[in-house]
Amino acid sequence: MKIKFLRTPPSTQFPFTIGAPAMIWQVLFFYLPLAILAISSILQFSEETGIFEGLTFQKIAFFLRPLYLKVILLSFFLALGNAILCLLIAYPLAYFIAFIGKRYKNFFLFLLIVPFWTNFLLHIYAWFFVLEKEGFLNNLLRGIGAISEPLQLLNTPFAIMIMMVYYYLPFMVMPLYSSLEKMDVRLVEASLDLGASWGQTLRRVMLPVTKRGLMAGFFLVYIPSFGEFAIPEFMGGDKLMFVGTVISNYILGDETGSLGAAFTLVASLFLLASAALLYWLIDRLIPGRRHG
Amino acid sequence: MVKVSKINFFSTSIIVACTYLFLYVPLVVLLVFSFNLEAFPSPWKGFTLKWYHELIQSKHLWASFLNSLIVAICSTGISLTMGVFLIFYAAQGGRIGNFLNLFYGNLVIPETVLAVSLLGFFTLISLPLGLGTLVLAHSVLGLGFVIPIVYARFLELDYRMTEASLVLGASPVQTFFKVTLPLLKPALTVTGLLVFIISFDDFILSYFCAGSTSQTLSLYILSMLRSGISPIVNALSAVLLLFSSCLVILFFTISKKSRTRIF
Repeated sequence: MKIKFLRTPPSTQFPFTIGAPAMIWQVLFFYLPLAILAISSILQFSEETGIFEGLTFQKIAFFLRPLYLKVILLSFFLALGNAILCLLIAYPLAYFIAFIGKRYKNFFLFLLIVPFWTNFLLHIYAWFFVLEKEGFLNNLLRGIGAISEPLQLLNTPFAIMIMMVYYYLPFMVMPLYSSLEKMDVRLVEASLDLGASWGQTLRRVMLPVTKRGLMAGFFLVYIPSFGEFAIPEFMGGDKLMFVGTVISNYILGDETGSLGAAFTLVASLFLLASAALLYWLIDRLIPGRRHG
Repeated sequence: MVKVSKINFFSTSIIVACTYLFLYVPLVVLLVFSFNLEAFPSPWKGFTLKWYHELIQSKHLWASFLNSLIVAICSTGISLTMGVFLIFYAAQGGRIGNFLNLFYGNLVIPETVLAVSLLGFFTLISLPLGLGTLVLAHSVLGLGFVIPIVYARFLELDYRMTEASLVLGASPVQTFFKVTLPLLKPALTVTGLLVFIISFDDFILSYFCAGSTSQTLSLYILSMLRSGISPIVNALSAVLLLFSSCLVILFFTISKKSRTRIF
């Protein structure tokens, strides 16, 4: 028997009160704090008495200097690089799980999710063991005679990038897998049979079909990476400053909270603009529908 | 299918093998050293379980574990209950989009920004930081997951059951508890697990919103990381990996049965 669904749920006349708590919660603990953050970065308070004095854009202008723009750009490149690397690794992986290793797909997905569901500080700790001077990687490389002196791997941009990809990879694989799984594999076969190369098939068939998952994955990685502060702090030492590091330093520092708010606002606006631009760019680069 | 798999079997298999090595080598190294007789950087000296013994006896650890558990359970409960009620209210009469769009922001903004703005807010209304504020913060994050996922499942329900129940004289409240809620139960369990684990493992919100008095598991691990390498953390990693493996298996079993899609 074919099941037919009603198009909309029947009216049960629940009063507004049952929907209200979630909305009040959301407004009170999500929108209000964000609004306060944005507003407080343009308010001026007297230094001695703490009384409101007027509006100021000084705090925002303070962060529009080259020093801080460099921090923002560095975060942008970190997030963009991370998203692109994750995409390059995740696409073949998701393809493999969806089509080649299909029989064991639950096993592969399980292996992917377990680290993802374990406290992420433990992963940072695990990478200490691998990247330390006396750690696994240095010992391995010395063992096979590739290097004679241990390399400095911790506290380098390399360590930051490794850790970023390690942590954010599942965010990319999951949406990609879910849209590849729905793709009809015969489309790929047809394209290859009709003489298209793998590159053409990828560009003209697979990418357009999986566009939605690709975009979801891209922004699920890009946006949090932009504000990431734990990974640069632990893996990068204190040489490189990123948006997350600067925010946490100002917010948790003494008497610099409102400056922190101003920087958060500046960085968030940049993030918003860059995400919109990237969205437009990817939409242009990949032919096909946005919602597939 | 045959042709497609033949051509790219080797190249993708190699990439996949490397990726899984990349994911698991650090964890395996970590686990191996949890059984080492001497602390890192000493090489392998012999097998021991003494670090696990010390782990079990660490009072701080269990206190912070309990805190994390309390926070995760409370925030899961709050976000699930409120989320389901909102979906029920909003689903009647097709006004749903307007209300649910409000919640997409929770996942779209970086967690650091959410944490910072909540910290500012709590300071402004002079709410003392602690487990309570942490529950608030995590439940906001949780709502961002609960509403889209449960709503997607809600739309797939067979509404004729609800209609039948209403037509046959059950009140809306009875219909809710006896028909719709049982139908949604697997989806709610899966979402609950997801929100639970996100809250349990969360670092950023805990770092900003927990204050100095209440320590969650993440903050405990952070303090141990700051004090240098200790094999107890290795032992802890082993235990937590086992814990999350069990949760993932549970999650897979239920989500397969209920056909709930998280991603």
